[in-house]
Amino acid sequence: MATLFKHLSLMLLICACVLRAGIAAEEVKPETLTYEEHIRPIFRAHCFDCHGATEEMKGGLDLRLVRFMTKGGESGEAIISGKPDESYLIERIESGDMPPGEARVPQDQIATLKRWIAAGAKTARPEPATIEPGLGITPEERAYWAFQPVKRPEVSEEFKNRPGVRTPIDALLLKAMPEGLSFSPDAEKLTLIKRASFDLTGLPPGPEQIRRVMADQSANWYEGYVDELLQSPHYGERWARHWLDVAGYADSEGYTVNDVVRPWAWKYRDYVIRSLNANKPFDQFIVEQLAGDELAGKREGDLTEKQIELLTATGFLRMAADGTGSGSNTPEARNQVIADTLKIVSSSLMGVSVACAQCHDHRYDPIPHADYFAMRAIFEPAFDWQQWQTPSQRQVSLYTAADRVKAAEIEVEVQKIAAAKGEKQTKYLAEALEKELLKYEQPLRDQLNSAYQTPADKRTPEQAALLKKYPSVNISPGVLYEYLPDAVEDLKKFDKQIEEIRSKKPVEEFLRVAVEPANHLPVTKLFYRGDYRQPRQVIEPAALSVVSPEGERRKFPVNDEALPTTGRRLAFARWLTNGEHPLVARVLVNRIWLHHFGRAIVSTPGEFGKLGSTPTHPELLDWLASEFMQQGWDLKKLHRTIMLSTAYRQAGAPDPSKESIDPENNFYWRKPIVRLEAETLRDRMLAASGVLAPQLYGAPVEIKEDDFGQVVVSGDQLRRSLYIQARRSQPVGMLQTFDAPVMEINCERRSSSTVATQSLMLMNGSFILSQSAKLAERLSREAPELKPDVLASLPGIPPSVRPVWSYGYGKLDESATPKLAYTALPHWTGSSWQGGPQLPDPALGWVTLNAGGGHPASQYVAIRRWTAPASGTLTVAGKFQHGSDHGNGVRALVLSSRSGLAGQWEIKNQSVDTTVSSLAVQQGDTIDFIADCKQNDVGFDSFSWTVQVSLQNEQGGVHKWDSAADFRGPEPEQKNLSAQAAYAFELALCRQPSPEELLLVTRFINSQLVYLQQHPEQLPKDVTPGRQVMTNLCQALMSSNEFLYVD
Amino acid sequence: MTHFSRRQFLAENAMGIGTVALAWLLKQDQLLARPKNVPVKQPHFDLTPKQAPFVPQAKAMISLFQHGGPSHMDLTDPKPELTKYDGTEFKGDIQYSFVKQASKALLGSPWKFRKHGECGTELSELLPGLAEVVDDVCVIRSMQTGANGHEVSIRYFHGGIPGVLGRPNLGSWLVYGLGSESQNLPAYMVLTDPGGLPVDGVTNWSNGFMPSLFQGTVLRPKEPRILNLDAPAHLQGSLQQQNLELLQTLNRRHYEQHPHESDLEARISSYELAARMQTSAREALDLSQETKATQELYGLDNPKTQEYGTRCLIARRLVERGVRFVQLFLGGQPWDNHNHLTTGLPAICERTDQPAAALVKDLKQRGMLETTLVHWGGEIGRLPVTQSLGDPKTVGRDHNGQGFSIWLAGGGIKGGMTFGKTDEFGHKAVENIVTPNDFQATVMRLFGLDYQQLLYHHNGQEQIITSGRPARIVSEIMS
Repeated sequence: MATLFKHLSLMLLICACVLRAGIAAEEVKPETLTYEEHIRPIFRAHCFDCHGATEEMKGGLDLRLVRFMTKGGESGEAIISGKPDESYLIERIESGDMPPGEARVPQDQIATLKRWIAAGAKTARPEPATIEPGLGITPEERAYWAFQPVKRPEVSEEFKNRPGVRTPIDALLLKAMPEGLSFSPDAEKLTLIKRASFDLTGLPPGPEQIRRVMADQSANWYEGYVDELLQSPHYGERWARHWLDVAGYADSEGYTVNDVVRPWAWKYRDYVIRSLNANKPFDQFIVEQLAGDELAGKREGDLTEKQIELLTATGFLRMAADGTGSGSNTPEARNQVIADTLKIVSSSLMGVSVACAQCHDHRYDPIPHADYFAMRAIFEPAFDWQQWQTPSQRQVSLYTAADRVKAAEIEVEVQKIAAAKGEKQTKYLAEALEKELLKYEQPLRDQLNSAYQTPADKRTPEQAALLKKYPSVNISPGVLYEYLPDAVEDLKKFDKQIEEIRSKKPVEEFLRVAVEPANHLPVTKLFYRGDYRQPRQVIEPAALSVVSPEGERRKFPVNDEALPTTGRRLAFARWLTNGEHPLVARVLVNRIWLHHFGRAIVSTPGEFGKLGSTPTHPELLDWLASEFMQQGWDLKKLHRTIMLSTAYRQAGAPDPSKESIDPENNFYWRKPIVRLEAETLRDRMLAASGVLAPQLYGAPVEIKEDDFGQVVVSGDQLRRSLYIQARRSQPVGMLQTFDAPVMEINCERRSSSTVATQSLMLMNGSFILSQSAKLAERLSREAPELKPDVLASLPGIPPSVRPVWSYGYGKLDESATPKLAYTALPHWTGSSWQGGPQLPDPALGWVTLNAGGGHPASQYVAIRRWTAPASGTLTVAGKFQHGSDHGNGVRALVLSSRSGLAGQWEIKNQSVDTTVSSLAVQQGDTIDFIADCKQNDVGFDSFSWTVQVSLQNEQGGVHKWDSAADFRGPEPEQKNLSAQAAYAFELALCRQPSPEELLLVTRFINSQLVYLQQHPEQLPKDVTPGRQVMTNLCQALMSSNEFLYVD
Repeated sequence: MTHFSRRQFLAENAMGIGTVALAWLLKQDQLLARPKNVPVKQPHFDLTPKQAPFVPQAKAMISLFQHGGPSHMDLTDPKPELTKYDGTEFKGDIQYSFVKQASKALLGSPWKFRKHGECGTELSELLPGLAEVVDDVCVIRSMQTGANGHEVSIRYFHGGIPGVLGRPNLGSWLVYGLGSESQNLPAYMVLTDPGGLPVDGVTNWSNGFMPSLFQGTVLRPKEPRILNLDAPAHLQGSLQQQNLELLQTLNRRHYEQHPHESDLEARISSYELAARMQTSAREALDLSQETKATQELYGLDNPKTQEYGTRCLIARRLVERGVRFVQLFLGGQPWDNHNHLTTGLPAICERTDQPAAALVKDLKQRGMLETTLVHWGGEIGRLPVTQSLGDPKTVGRDHNGQGFSIWLAGGGIKGGMTFGKTDEFGHKAVENIVTPNDFQATVMRLFGLDYQQLLYHHNGQEQIITSGRPARIVSEIMS
């Protein structure tokens, strides 16, 4: 069959920007339509590729200036001012001839063009006398909101003093609210506790924590609580996940079908967690990720802790899919890594789709083709597609000099043992040969020996033929075991020794980094149409033109002599974070806002350009951005500022009058519910069931495919979802179903779906089933008792729910129909039931029952009682044995409470089958297995008797019991199930049930207990009805909306 | 299950329910109409049935994907010149995938071709089943991907760009654009082969950058056919129902405290749907409801056709119940006849020909063919020259992405015709070339969709299935 091979075609590079821009020009009066504002964007989208951006214009037509259009190209004038219907341009566009190919100019834009020509083809200002090649950037394009400097709005005193305003955030939101809207009251304390905990740590507050914070009556309890959460190490885990989404974190390389594992990506993940927990200033965090290697300085000897941290940070630049080390080290694959890396950098930090300028000038934003390559030039020294480094070549070992010395020392030791082994092996081989040769007569023996002793490449053809003829002489170490089995065992001892010594070698760990080779200054060239095979002019590293004022474009040094590297990325990173960049801080605070409110101020967090949305609250966005920077890029402070606002603290309560004004809550007059993200949902289940491992950091948890082909976590389910291995080709079913991203490049925003597959997973999925069982088990251990008055108000456990086996004694009345008085045996020794600690017991004598049998007393029979949990037909198999030749033997009886004696056996020093077939029973009937000493003669009456009871119910289901396997002592004092249920609410939903709810679930418990008693065949093995019912309750709680959503 | 009466503003669907009809769908009209400073909510997606912009001819599609590259010159594209020059050297340029075994010796088809049906389409003797329905079938003989690799071309067919993984598949786009007709079943279903997953595995039905709502739901070749569909043994029967009743009571109480949050209501419904699905999916898979005649039509009585026939029959039952897009895959690459052409090719034909034809027949006799588009085809074809390991008895053919055949039937396709041509030897498509993008554009048009207008916003870009690559609607094959 064919092997798989990849012709990743050039198409990969041809960027797929299918775009349509909206230019709301139809509302504009024709006389105010101008070329710059209304027409140029249409041409940018559809025409400039051939008629403006390039040095040579197709057909000689240049659409960059109106006077060029009027002059026209080879086909004559393109427009006639005032006469759209006579303008050739309109004719060509309307006929569909232009633009060539399938793309069409939308009708509304053609209409705008016509109206503009009709009104005289006006410009906003006189056109320049000369024009540079290329599209340039007009003042209109520069005027776009996102490219303007961040301007901190004044918060007026009037709004500051409005009721409910705690922070400038509130004042700005309130200012934007239409008449009739105002903030909702603060949410209840418990709601806030939960909300803040999930937001900051991604975990539910623990029961202890809730109790403590609820008891805190101080006025600033909330501030204190938020600070406490910000100090939690789980804060870093939670917010790392958000950052890893935009960084495109994955534990595999992607690109090829093999999707090989990236063994060391997790070091970067841990760096992110640590940085966030340490509240590293975010500007520093950015600089380290873009240029940590340039900050790290020269490596002299061992890497310092600081160097390791800085190098690890550059893992950010190594998150893009990279197939160059897994079978696809082609120019296409290399250039794809670069393109994806730029995409991650630009969408995570700058919020602009520079990728659209990979092949041509950006169709909507003023990003020239050359700007894309100027940005690429910043990264070229580390990502040189012509001198490429594969992922493994980029790895940096964390071995220290001492590690290396130690490793070498150990290798020396290993070699010694290996030599000793070799010697011994030679000896054994000689020994084996000698023995083998004895089988042959001379002179053949000597011939064989000399052939064998001659090195293989020096043998004469005769010698070689000889050895071929007598293969058994050709003894090699691999077959030595056939000749001297003991010798092989002996040699294995050496291997074991070697293994042991090697295990003392220091473990060699690696970092996944982006670094520049020393003195590496590759030249960046613009690729015509994005095709690396068509390189054009040399481009030097620089920032996007549009971000700086006209004529002040920021260029970066080609080579900073002060650094061992080129310094390009460092200069770029410092410029991004210098506090003047219009995009970086806005993009960051917008994301933080999104994660606190479930919606962003700019609803396209990765795209602030024309293709994205505009901010709903531009002043708020700018205030947050400026505050963030003013406060030293302090992320924890920003969380605090947002979370202390009234807007954040609001209740989600409905309010019909406000809803009629703003049903979608666009103005933040209430706090909407937010569905837990996939990871948080899974983590919450682990936290509720009590098995969540608090451990941070480390290598990812492995995954596997289960029997049904679904990808699941391998082994114990204990760690937070953040630590599960993220294979691009093997998303974990549970996480993917709840919308966790599968990394293609990166994820700028998650979707949130509500689908039946999620419901099915919560009904039948193995993860929730196992977590429910664990929670139920936890309840049985930890649930506190209910207060007596609460307990008294609840219905009790139904009387029909009784244990199946019980152990007692009694007197047998053997009149016409045998009757029995049954009393439970009072004492449990740990292995048997009897009258008291000593045998014989002063009152009950020798009567005792254990797993396999027992002993009757002279006055009393021993009774093993089985109580029917359901009606049906009973059969009994069993073996009754007596092992002594002394005494008068023993007697066994099976007695049904409904139908009387079902069987009777008398034995002495022998064994008998105690079979009973087809006995009809009703629920609650008893079947007694009675052992009797006969005629009160209790000597030598030890017996063994095990029975297997099988009950077929009316539906045909069969359930079986085994008297030996089921034998046990007194049921542990079982916690009241209602008490367990109440605790289930506390652990799963972080609150006490209301009395009404407790009654509801107690009724549920009771009715299911009865059901399970009647359908014992449905119980999983070794699970009691009580446990199963609690498991079911836990599952319902963990799949409830209250569990899935946070207020 | 308890049924709740409440506002019925939510349309209900098997795999998805949502809240807000999407502004995403209908391109810039809405985007333009959106006044500034009104936020776009976090996008929320649903499967409510959606009106196509054009009158649709097809309502559902069954795609019988034939991995490996069916040898068109031995099946659907007769080449008398190739037979004539059998054994002589091919003069043109050829791109091989297996250079070490390559030769330029032309290999005439060992099988005979004959005209069939009223239309007289010529087919090879390997496809007697297809021959019976040929008057309903349009054979496209001029497919071209331009690349010989399996993955490159498979991804091209499914995701729209050659070689690129991680994009939504054709089924995702159709469901995204049209929603689901079924109340109880997933809209996009995939039937995998007992021989294992196809090349590229689960990405063949991935939702790519779309939400998981638009992912294909796998119907596995053995029980349990749908993951998580069945309750574990200890919850079966009324026990799970009791649990769900408790859950829904809790959910209803919670919803009463949050009456403005429609997502909560949607999730309550999704549990009801999940419970309904447990029954309806089982029913859809119960082939004992089919007559003996129908079962035999699909070859369920023949060990060779039984497995593939079963899946074809399930496909029909799914479409009958409102499933939008069903795709059958084969395990591995059974059509990849690099060697042993004379035994390998008849074997896979025997396995698939009768069931595929039965599907067309059966759909027609039930009046479903008019609205159900059936697609049969692989990602590439094969070369006219010999690939050999040395033994003349084991020769085969290497990959060919320059020219090959697929066939379509029903759903607005003109029956009884062939379209396009390859060169005299079947190497390159030379007339009316159809690319996978053209195929996608055409399929979408049959469903009443405009492939250029069906947009999905991803990473700040508007995405379409063809990703802006040139495509054309092949109107010549539409009725």
